[in-house]
Amino acid sequence: MRFLRLLFVFWRVGILGELSYRSNFFFHLLESVLELGTALAGLAVVFSYTSTLAGWRPDEIVALVGIYFLVSGAIRMVIQPSMERLIEGVHEGTLDFTLTKPADAQLLVSIQRVEIWNITDIALGAGVLTVALVRLGANVEVREAAAFAAALVAGGIIVYSFWLMLATLAFWFVRVENMLQIFSSMYEAGRWPVSFYPRWLRFMLTFLIPVAFATTVPAQALAGRLTWQTLAGAFALAAGLAVVSRVFWRIGVRRYSSASS
Amino acid sequence: MATSSAVQIRDLHKTYIVPEREGGVRAALASLVRRRKQEVRAVDGISFDLSPGEIVGFLGPNGAGKTTTLKMLSGLLHPTAGELKVLGYVPWKRDRDFLRQITLVMGQRNQLVWDIPPIDSFDLNRAVYRVPPADYRRTLDELTELLELGPLLKKPVRNLSLGERMKCEMAAALLHRPQVVFLDEPTIGLDVTMQRRIRGFIAEYNRRHGATVLLTSHYMADVVALCRRVIIIHHGRLLFDGDLANLVERFTAHKTIVVALGDCGADLSSYGEVVSCTDGNVTLRVPKAETARVTGRLLADFPVMDLTVEDPPIEEVIDRVFREEHS
Amino acid sequence: MRGLAVIYVQQFKVTMASFIQYRAALVIWLIGHVLEPLIYLVVWSTVTRSTGGSVGGFTAADFAAYFIVLMIVNHMTYTWIMYEYEYRVRQGTLSPDLLRPVHPIHSDIADNLTSKMITLPGMLAIAVSLGFIFRPVLHPVPWALAAFVPVVLLAFLVRFFVEWTLALAAFWTIRTSALNQMYYMAMLFFSGQIAPLELLPHPLRAIAFVLPFRWTIGFPTELLIGRLTPAQALTGVGMQLAWLAVGLLLMRVVWRAGLKAYTAVGA
Repeated sequence: MRFLRLLFVFWRVGILGELSYRSNFFFHLLESVLELGTALAGLAVVFSYTSTLAGWRPDEIVALVGIYFLVSGAIRMVIQPSMERLIEGVHEGTLDFTLTKPADAQLLVSIQRVEIWNITDIALGAGVLTVALVRLGANVEVREAAAFAAALVAGGIIVYSFWLMLATLAFWFVRVENMLQIFSSMYEAGRWPVSFYPRWLRFMLTFLIPVAFATTVPAQALAGRLTWQTLAGAFALAAGLAVVSRVFWRIGVRRYSSASS
Repeated sequence: MATSSAVQIRDLHKTYIVPEREGGVRAALASLVRRRKQEVRAVDGISFDLSPGEIVGFLGPNGAGKTTTLKMLSGLLHPTAGELKVLGYVPWKRDRDFLRQITLVMGQRNQLVWDIPPIDSFDLNRAVYRVPPADYRRTLDELTELLELGPLLKKPVRNLSLGERMKCEMAAALLHRPQVVFLDEPTIGLDVTMQRRIRGFIAEYNRRHGATVLLTSHYMADVVALCRRVIIIHHGRLLFDGDLANLVERFTAHKTIVVALGDCGADLSSYGEVVSCTDGNVTLRVPKAETARVTGRLLADFPVMDLTVEDPPIEEVIDRVFREEHS
Repeated sequence: MRGLAVIYVQQFKVTMASFIQYRAALVIWLIGHVLEPLIYLVVWSTVTRSTGGSVGGFTAADFAAYFIVLMIVNHMTYTWIMYEYEYRVRQGTLSPDLLRPVHPIHSDIADNLTSKMITLPGMLAIAVSLGFIFRPVLHPVPWALAAFVPVVLLAFLVRFFVEWTLALAAFWTIRTSALNQMYYMAMLFFSGQIAPLELLPHPLRAIAFVLPFRWTIGFPTELLIGRLTPAQALTGVGMQLAWLAVGLLLMRVVWRAGLKAYTAVGA
């Protein structure tokens, strides 16, 4: 309850701060549209040569692209800014202020920044997804919609925990901002179903850098291809990573509290 | 151990293990294979108490252990050894109720969010510290009045000058009416007028609310204006803990005599150590015991226009304390 | 001339020193360069499985050859100078650079080349590993192999000058990220990174011929894997030289204009 209240306050402040920069919105929209356009154009070229791709129909992959943008927008809106700020805070020492506040430090560092204009990515992604579903004539039943929502939640927790663990490395290493980059680089692969890639790459994209859980798994849920085992596995992984990342965070803070001067 | 103390420190230690490395490519490669470590005693066994409502100055050169001590007091660092209690709590346990009653202000480091107006950052703190709305309004009004924050509240922090930012930082730190205030070089980098304003504010705040204040600073003016009691730390050990007046008394063997003679032609080296001469005002340093005698001789031998006997500037006193520590 | 050589050697030392510290950044940079072509390699190979083994004259092995070579060529011609200038203007470090009596482009080129020298072994090792995994098939021709090095060099220069000129947009606006995005997207498409340009519909291929992107990445790649006739190769080199001239000219003009704009505002 308290967590929600704090979340709300931080977001309200973050959003209010950005609202005065309307030109940011238009530029961001432009960039997003360009990125989306290129992705869809690439798809068009590929599908001018074939009508299915390893069993996936064009509109199913378009739906995947929509999910990709949606999730990417969410990450860039709430997870990435706060984690980047966390790394700065560790190196500049402003984390001290966070640690003297009477609230859970992990919570405070995770919600401290919101880059609201990425909401355009979420909107564009959702739009593309909707169009794709309509074109598929998909009857998205309650069960599939629920599985989709569940897969998104699990994916969200997994991605957040992963980012937190990467950012926590800042307590030991100096140049961690570059490591955050690794997720963004590997995330590119999420534009296509992870099942396309050779086994070693699939493994990396599932268990090393959790791209599959963010994009392919929710897409599979919508397309009715998701087995309950995979969904259960996603939740197990989400729960496990949430615990591990929290433990790792506490170890990091402990180190900071013993070593910094 | 007085249970009414706000802060109690007994034999506090903080030791760091620091990897040692020289510059150059060869040393860099060598360090990959074998790490050499060095033990640094940042705080080497200090003890003192602070009573509620005291303003105490905590002085020392860079690296003396001031900031380390402050961080241990606010729960940011775990001590290596010793006992430490603030308001009855053990700081590094980071009890929520403890954190709600203290605050830490660090000069040159901002907790205010850069892109938004201070009032929004205040709002965040209000939520985090769970300040009831009525109390918040009252405190905010008081701080706005005392620090003259009116026109600043709605401007983004990055558009404020350094001094304005510091005022807002102080306000942000005090919104929850903490009982213990740790100030780490709060006036550093500010111009003289602003320094005076901040000092005035701290004094007034302490007078109104009886908060215990531990203040570290490089600027003597801060200490002289605010603190009756000073604690001096150097190389992690306490050199002095007592009234400022006693400090001067104990650590100076000299007095300063300033004589206005009209010009600088005369050679006064036989009367005492000539420190300087500007516009006919000669500054002499004489041993304390000699003060009366030298004064008498000067008055007799010269057409003195003005003469004052002063204690040496406090900077000099402190400087001497540190240098004595070395020898 | 000797003064320039000294600058290059100096920049070499500086870049080397900073790279020892930024090891992780290098690795991640490499990963980014590997992943994109790898993704399209996989995608197009998957397409060939649905179309009876080949797409527009490319088999899966041909795609493997194309994209692995593309990866190397892209890496060798890569520039980050647009981001670099945006950063410099934002941080205010551009002014000291302008005070030096030498054109800043020299240290930029030196920095670029040094970085590549450090990363090229790693990139080649990765390419070889990918070769074992994907079994590419090349049809190298002696004259094409001989021509490859000068062509890549030209490609690098064209790309560098064009992007350096665009980087100067930082003099006029801080909103360079939208501009960078447009450039990057156009490049993805028209340089042959998303698909070999032969596979694009005709109107797009025509556009790609006129723009500089193909001549920086796609052309050297097509050359090495043996898909070009000597006549096509000569035309390509001609286009490279043309764009090199355009790039140099634009660079001088924009640089002068940019300096004027920048110093007028008050660096």
